[in-house]
Amino acid sequence: MKAKLFAGAAALALVAGGAFAQDLRFAPGEDAKFNWASYEAFKQDLSGQEITILGPWLGPDKDLVESVIAYFEAATGAKVNYNGSDSFEQQIVIDTEAGSPPDIAVFPQPGLARDLAAKGHLVDLGADTATWIRDNYAAGQSWVDLATFPGKDGNSGLFGFFYKVDVKSLVWYVPENFEDAGYEVPATMEDLKALTDKIVADGGTPWCIGLGSGGATGWPATDWVEDMMLRTTTPENYDKWVSNELKFTDAAVVAAIEEYGAFSRNDAYVAGGAAGVASVDFRDSPKGLFASPPQCYMHRQASFIPSFFPEGTVIGEDADFFYFPAYAEKDLGQPVLGAGTVFGLTKDSPAARAFIEFLKTPIAHEIWMAQKGFLTPHKGVNTETYGDPTLKKMGDILLNATTFRFDGSDLMPGAIGAGAFWTGMVDYQGGKAAVDVAADIQKNWDALQ
Amino acid sequence: MEQLFMASATIIIGVFGCVAYFFLSNMALDALYPPRGPNAGANISRATAIRPWLFLLPAILLLCVYLVYPFFVSVWLSFHDSSGNRFVGAANYTWLLGDEKFRESMKNNMLWLLVVPAASTFFGLLAAALTDRIRWGNLAKALIFMPMAISFIGASVIWKFIYDYRGEGQREIGLLNAMVESFGGSAQTWLTIPFWNNFFLMIVLIWIQTGFAMVILSAALRGIPEETVEAAILDGASPLQIFFKIKVPQIWGTIAVVWTTITITVLKVFDIVLAMTNGQWGTQVLANLMFDWMFRGNDTGRASAIALVIMLLVTPIMIWNIRNARAEMR
Amino acid sequence: MDNIAGTKSSLVWTVNLAVIALVVLWTIPTFGLLVSSFRDRDQISASGWWNAAVSSEANEIARAGDADTQLQEGDLWVIAGTVLPEGKGEVSRFGTSSRDPTAYAAGETADLGEGVSLTVATDGSYRLTSTTAFEGRSPRIFFTATTPPRLTTENYARVLGAEGLGRAFLNTMTVTIPATVIPILIAAFAAYALAWMEFPGRALLIAGIVGLLVVPLQLALIPLLKLHNQLGIGKEYIGIWLAHSGFGLPLAVYLLRNYMVGLPREIIESARVDGATDFQIFLKIILPLSFPALASFAIFQFLWVWNDLLVATVFLGNNQDQLVMTGVLRELLGSRGGEWEILATSAFVSIFVPLVVFFAMQKYLVRGLLAGSVK
Repeated sequence: MKAKLFAGAAALALVAGGAFAQDLRFAPGEDAKFNWASYEAFKQDLSGQEITILGPWLGPDKDLVESVIAYFEAATGAKVNYNGSDSFEQQIVIDTEAGSPPDIAVFPQPGLARDLAAKGHLVDLGADTATWIRDNYAAGQSWVDLATFPGKDGNSGLFGFFYKVDVKSLVWYVPENFEDAGYEVPATMEDLKALTDKIVADGGTPWCIGLGSGGATGWPATDWVEDMMLRTTTPENYDKWVSNELKFTDAAVVAAIEEYGAFSRNDAYVAGGAAGVASVDFRDSPKGLFASPPQCYMHRQASFIPSFFPEGTVIGEDADFFYFPAYAEKDLGQPVLGAGTVFGLTKDSPAARAFIEFLKTPIAHEIWMAQKGFLTPHKGVNTETYGDPTLKKMGDILLNATTFRFDGSDLMPGAIGAGAFWTGMVDYQGGKAAVDVAADIQKNWDALQ
Repeated sequence: MEQLFMASATIIIGVFGCVAYFFLSNMALDALYPPRGPNAGANISRATAIRPWLFLLPAILLLCVYLVYPFFVSVWLSFHDSSGNRFVGAANYTWLLGDEKFRESMKNNMLWLLVVPAASTFFGLLAAALTDRIRWGNLAKALIFMPMAISFIGASVIWKFIYDYRGEGQREIGLLNAMVESFGGSAQTWLTIPFWNNFFLMIVLIWIQTGFAMVILSAALRGIPEETVEAAILDGASPLQIFFKIKVPQIWGTIAVVWTTITITVLKVFDIVLAMTNGQWGTQVLANLMFDWMFRGNDTGRASAIALVIMLLVTPIMIWNIRNARAEMR
Repeated sequence: MDNIAGTKSSLVWTVNLAVIALVVLWTIPTFGLLVSSFRDRDQISASGWWNAAVSSEANEIARAGDADTQLQEGDLWVIAGTVLPEGKGEVSRFGTSSRDPTAYAAGETADLGEGVSLTVATDGSYRLTSTTAFEGRSPRIFFTATTPPRLTTENYARVLGAEGLGRAFLNTMTVTIPATVIPILIAAFAAYALAWMEFPGRALLIAGIVGLLVVPLQLALIPLLKLHNQLGIGKEYIGIWLAHSGFGLPLAVYLLRNYMVGLPREIIESARVDGATDFQIFLKIILPLSFPALASFAIFQFLWVWNDLLVATVFLGNNQDQLVMTGVLRELLGSRGGEWEILATSAFVSIFVPLVVFFAMQKYLVRGLLAGSVK
């Protein structure tokens, strides 16, 4: 270790600025499952140009996005600096306001991109890109709509390009625990509720739920409510709710909150009791699945959660997931809740434009797909490149969806979607009535300027 | 190596530039108005009138740019809408008055202002006074000081391991709950207990600020002239009497300074609240409310209005300081 | 006399005990973090840190070896191995199903049906036998074991081995040293002027500085970065020095002025009578006498700058030449930051330098005392 440290220090001095020598993770032209033609076709000369990308990805995620960026650099000769920040939301606001923006910003929520677009800090990507998305993304129009905002002049434009999608409607479980107890993966919400009761009857605890997330405490509950909205009312109502045409106080919204409460506020249903739900950290809560004896059997969370499973857990074997099912009787199809990151152009330049063009190539998606944690709505990619069967299975959930809706709290204004809604759900978990919680959130929304 | 060289070079240039300013400007002043020759008297009085401003100039410049200017920007913003483009009059302030979270924050802030400065100063004074009397005092000081040195990220994990709650039937990893359970009680979700959770958050700040109070007060205690203490010992005063009747009055000014500084820290504190509860369960404070509107609500108008309220709260302290300074001059 | 000596030693005892109590109260939380920094992530979320040093009994799950490790013994197929790979600890009970993980005592034989049976011995070794060859995934073994404490230095290896940490250390120093020295210098002069020089507007200026203490940093960021960009400073080191100096200045002036005002008036008056200029008085008398105050402010300013991430991310670039240590440590945590073990470890890695500074400065706190008593 020590030797490695010293070697590292010595190497540091030598290779300062050696990021140019990025090696490509998959040699171009080698593996036939990749769309190398699109890589070759993209090649152009932008050498000498440099762009900066600011995004929310850190640690392993940063390595992944950089592995994709390396192909752009290799294909164009341009240099890209990717910077990750855990306070992305603050940094992008400060940087754009102060006049020193990066070239490209990767927004974890479209809501923030909407705010910046309204202040004139984002560049319109143009009608061609909108058409491209419409033609090449599954449910293309909805991706265009999600990234179309009014600009500073009031004219709407496409200000964001979605790249990397997450599926949220997943329930994680340990298949062997299900086998031991003789439980079946439920195919409908009715079955899921019956299973929940059966587990209680057998003396177990069905769910692990944790809303704790430091400064963002409460957000996991908003995902539950959004999933419940999609399962109890029409997608049209969901859209209206997100834009507040349908008030929070509407019976449909209150009912969805109560649907969530039916799970989370029942002491017998959740590990640690309903009182603990709000303060247990969301990163700690899935660990109950792996305890001996199991503290819970199911955990509803988005596709990123395996990073918080105990070390060495093999997804697909030690732990697996199933689609958070819909009510058979309500006839709302198979709704899927998801989220995604949006690339926005914060400073116009040929290289930055070229990077957005690069994101349209199948290869830009396949490189990340072949590794981990990446789903894409791009219809032109080869799904064989998915790095593991789990991703493919998630991709299938995405494809089989009859309705795909974006995480509503990400689309609401920040003060609601990252404020009053979170706080409201914490209050609700603490025992406040759903009607009162909804009224509070609505009041906050009305008070926005 | 190059970086090492560059770093030291820049450090030296930066620091020496500063020293050079004071030296050269004072020399220039002395050359301009030499304190000798025919006009010595007039020169000296002119130089004395100018010199304070030479001393103050860099400080005033920096303060104006880095604090006064942003202050006026905030005042301006607080009368504008969320994007800072449209004048809205006092709308942000009237909104504040009607906002429940704002009232909750005011109430909590008052509580913080009462408890934290008092407790931190008390423990700091205690630590400073006691550690000065024992042999391993320096080590004890370092240990009490440590919370100040720990990064905020570290501090939030530390307190997670204290307040954590796992729920019935699970092993608690929070120290407080483990203790409660070993005494036969049942585990609590400490951070969600209304009203009292404010105190659990305050403990964190007291834990951090005590080190600050201790270092400053300890320096002041050591500055007390030995003669006064020796005289009291000869008079047969007990150590407690010496401390309260001789030492504390002499460092009263420093105690006030520590109190003031911690009061201001309390007004500005948001990271503890942000990381531990984000103001939920009735623990919101003004600074965190401001932060929320600044970066989550993206409303610079409201954020600025809250900031101005925070600054308004400090006026009594400012007035008190003006009076003190006037008293000193006499 | 004896009586007085008696009360004296009992006083010493009380003081010692009181300090011990205070120190323990103040250190326990940090100590918990220190212990946690030597544990792995699963341990941290499974048991309290105070359990780290004692043998603990826990229910655990292991998986029997793969089917390709099976050996044929007579007409039995056998997979053997141990559930305690480190060879330490003692198994008391075991089970084969999550429904009843403590069904059997160690040494008993569990019947899994279809001719499969499992034995787990106290030392952790297990024997899984079957009358037919094993296929597919091997079953899980649930066991209750008392294991001795297990501490690891792996976290430190990971944090200290982080890419770019050495460079970031240099960057942090480049930020911290000038950002500590510059405000002290500037503030010392200003504090002297405010304490001992007479000029109109002095009291107002002092109050103004107190008022500036409370200006929230967060609001200042956007206008200031805008200013830096307009001035062409952009995101250079000079910008962050000025910013940290500006933000730290009110407190520095306030603390130092308060200290200087308390210095004995006679010394300064007599120097003035001797014809010394204010500049000379400041350099030769005030500065040396103010060492304790200068040292204590230096400690705090150093700490804030050292542990700061916000100002650094705003006023410095994120590139390799400018990334500070807090930034590198933050990157280790990943996008969602739930890695308590890395958090704990980085906290201790970054506390090291500030503590060295504290101990170094403590010397000056004493020197100030000596200088004061010599007069």
